[in-house]
Amino acid sequence: MKKILVVLALIGLSMAFAQIKVGALWNITGGMSSIDEPGYNGMQLAADQINAAGGVLGQEIQLVVIDGKTDQTANANAASRLVDVDKVAVVGGINDSTFALASGPIFQDAGIPFVIAGATLPDLPDQIGDYAFMVPFGDNIQAYAGAEFAYNDLGAKTVYVLYDTAFDYSVALRAFFKERWADLAGADSILLEDTYKNGDKDFSAQIARLKALDPQPDVLYIAAVPDDVGNLVQQIRGAGLMQPIVGGDGWDTPILTEVGGEAAENTYFTTHVSLSNTGDMVQNFVSSYTETYGNAPENAFAALGYDTMGLIADAITRAGSADSAAIRDALAATQGYSGVTGTISYEGDSRVPNKSVTVIKVENGDFVFAKEVTP
Amino acid sequence: MSASYFIQQLINGLAIGSLYALVAVGLSMVYGILRLINFAHGDLMMIAGMLGATLFLWLSKSPLFLFVALALVAGLLGLALERIAYRPLRGAPEVNLLITSFAVSSILQVGMQMIFSSSPRRFETVAALSKLYSFGSVQIRGADMATFFITILSALLLTWFTRRTRTGIAMRAVSENLDTSMLMGINPSRPIALAFFIGSLLAGVAGVLWGWKYGQVDPLFGFLPGLKAFVAAVIGGIGSIPGAFVGGYVLGLAEVFFVGFLPPSFSGYRDVFVFSLLFIVLLVKPQGILGQSKGRRA
Amino acid sequence: MKAWGWLGLVIAFIPLLIWAELGWNGYLLQLFMFLGLYIALTVSLNLVNGLTDIFSLGHAAFMALGAYTSALLTLPLSRRATAFPALPEWFQTLVLPFPLALLLGALVAALVAYIIGLPLLRLKGHYLSVGTLALLVIVETLATNMDFLTRGPRGISGIPVYSNAYWVWGITLLIIYLTVRLKNSSFGLAFSAIRLDDIAAASLGIRTVRYRLFAFVLSAAMAGVIGGLWAHLVRVISPHVFSYGITFQVVAMLVVGGLGSVSGSVLGASLLFLIPEALRYVERQGSFGLSQILVAVLLILIVIFRPQGLLGRNQARRRAKEVV
Repeated sequence: MKKILVVLALIGLSMAFAQIKVGALWNITGGMSSIDEPGYNGMQLAADQINAAGGVLGQEIQLVVIDGKTDQTANANAASRLVDVDKVAVVGGINDSTFALASGPIFQDAGIPFVIAGATLPDLPDQIGDYAFMVPFGDNIQAYAGAEFAYNDLGAKTVYVLYDTAFDYSVALRAFFKERWADLAGADSILLEDTYKNGDKDFSAQIARLKALDPQPDVLYIAAVPDDVGNLVQQIRGAGLMQPIVGGDGWDTPILTEVGGEAAENTYFTTHVSLSNTGDMVQNFVSSYTETYGNAPENAFAALGYDTMGLIADAITRAGSADSAAIRDALAATQGYSGVTGTISYEGDSRVPNKSVTVIKVENGDFVFAKEVTP
Repeated sequence: MSASYFIQQLINGLAIGSLYALVAVGLSMVYGILRLINFAHGDLMMIAGMLGATLFLWLSKSPLFLFVALALVAGLLGLALERIAYRPLRGAPEVNLLITSFAVSSILQVGMQMIFSSSPRRFETVAALSKLYSFGSVQIRGADMATFFITILSALLLTWFTRRTRTGIAMRAVSENLDTSMLMGINPSRPIALAFFIGSLLAGVAGVLWGWKYGQVDPLFGFLPGLKAFVAAVIGGIGSIPGAFVGGYVLGLAEVFFVGFLPPSFSGYRDVFVFSLLFIVLLVKPQGILGQSKGRRA
Repeated sequence: MKAWGWLGLVIAFIPLLIWAELGWNGYLLQLFMFLGLYIALTVSLNLVNGLTDIFSLGHAAFMALGAYTSALLTLPLSRRATAFPALPEWFQTLVLPFPLALLLGALVAALVAYIIGLPLLRLKGHYLSVGTLALLVIVETLATNMDFLTRGPRGISGIPVYSNAYWVWGITLLIIYLTVRLKNSSFGLAFSAIRLDDIAAASLGIRTVRYRLFAFVLSAAMAGVIGGLWAHLVRVISPHVFSYGITFQVVAMLVVGGLGSVSGSVLGASLLFLIPEALRYVERQGSFGLSQILVAVLLILIVIFRPQGLLGRNQARRRAKEVV
């Protein structure tokens, strides 16, 4: 056994001379960590799988992981460190646009491609520059899909909107949802709009006000981050409100059913992928993630982190070198890269992928595929 | 606005106010003696909640045992923290205690993140607690009723303890005036340790009640309620045990009423309102609703 | 230090700054600039927390005011119509030069400090600390909700990069100089009289509220400038940046260095800024969060074994004995 280990170590050492350095910037500690940690796990898993299969261009991928600590200064320093000390060829990570905007310009200035794993602000790459790429669709796409699904498929005529004021994600999602809903059903059919702030765990005052509405809205649209959704459904259903709830990809987390239990029934959300999809790619991801980390992917960000690494490796292969500028050009030319979260293509100058939106329904405690929407 | 809407919001305010009150008591007692704003206090509530969802999961079928076990764990942890981190600082500048409490808070939060990951976890509850009970047009959840009654019971027990038992009276004496009480032959170490133990115990109680009420805990959930509970303690009159309970309910009701009775566009400004309220109390009646003026010692 | 000493220090610094700007890699240069900002923050907080009897926990609020003011006034016009459609005509057409924007940021911070300070500084001790903490929460919540002016949680991005080593360290040295001069002036004596016994000081004819207000406003103005520099270094600001995190960090730097000691502030800020950065190597072995825990343990040890801070005088200890 020992001998095998020594041999393995030697192989590892010899491969260490031919490595491609890929930066992994995530907020592994602090307030964002429940969202970023699964993303980092997904990226690490993909890197390990790629290396086990022989690496990229015959070289091993060395993931240089750095913690942004949910702090703007630490994010900027981490980005500079990846550029100047670790000298990475390309960087992936980050699920929140305010942190992407703190680190992105540093990568842009250094000419290092930055693949943003989970931040869904549609104009994020334009704000940073031509070296920034997004793995997920923009919030506009999924909010439009959510509005259309609620109106066309659930047959809702009136809606209640609740959103978290603490994240640009939820603020943007609510704005795009309202825009499309007003086109479909008229602005008057938004019966009430209310807010809370991430960190408030008590929504009883808002829910009592919703409950006092007469007539009741047909559907509730709630723009929230994963940490709050289980709590939200439990308090809403606990107050006896049973309407269908529609949300964005923040709802794509097992916390919804673990914490929500029965309260999560009759809930729909728009997201990147259905993990119950029987396709090989998805099943392979779910089973190896579960095997490696001892639990199923915590939320959609795990799959996005996985695809971030896959997309980077794919671009390096197509570029035929680990040169940053060549990787950028290869990324920009991505057509039909098939990942866990769907097919990624960057059309024209756009660096936000053109992806379809999956709608999931919670049924008997399971996430069931409901519909695929291309708004 | 109908009467039942008002009553519903009143109940909501009392439920959240109970949790603030339980956390505020410990903050107030410790401040009364050591002048320490203990920023790590809310994290003890978090520890109880997190342990209830992880290591003590096997007890979740018997709520009473879980309740007692977690309260004791939190109380003992509070005692240990006092011994390790705060007692060596006795006689040092007050600000050192403050810094230590930041540091302890950071260790507890990051430590729990490293051990159990940062993802929120389900806190198991029992059917009786998650059930919705109807009283006419008003509905109350079992967990909210339990929270309210346990808080009132704690308040009564604590008042009895501090007024009728020797140890409790010694504790109040130390809080009133440390030097004089030492002249009276009270060794302050015991009352101080006891204040930490009881305060942390109640924070642990709040942690379990929190878990039952919201069904979800995570390593960072304690900080903000801890801060708000301090606000409650100041509003009620810091150092005063009945004041902490009153302050908790005033804050809980004020928060809920602010969101519930103003247009929804104001909901986001809740914290501005809460902390402005604090500001006004500080300026108009710095000793709080039930606090006694201590003149220059403030 | 005499005026010659200061001049010598500044002259000695110029080659270092030029070397940093031209010869260092981006990472080192950036660390160097953030180090300057943290030192400036700690020293400016020392002006209030160390020299007077106020213990403020609201320093980051003034940073936020300076950062938002400066960012808004220098933002390229092309971004304004789309990002801030609700703001008036003059805002859509006026771009201020960087130094002027910084100055206005300082003025806004100072003005708010003055208005809030008039009632607030009548409080004492921990009540005052809690009041400043309330100010911090209020400013953050307002920034989160006043969408038309701050873009709420989305923050303001695309802030032009104007901060460089010269600006950052020039202002840092200026803040250090002002604080040291003030400490050694008759103002400083008045401050220490107020701190040791405010009633006795008042009976000697020292107008305590006015002196405290002066220190509070000046310190806020400094925080405003630092906030502006911060915004023009990081290029994006959002409400939660200027919150508990940075407040506690700076307070810890101050206490570790020693309350009242300016050189202590420089040392404390340097240590607590550089140690976590140096620990990144250790962390990468797979235990993220370790640096926060190690720094916290270090903090507790310093506070226990050297209660007056690394470079603080024993005065602090004496004061505490009187209280307890």
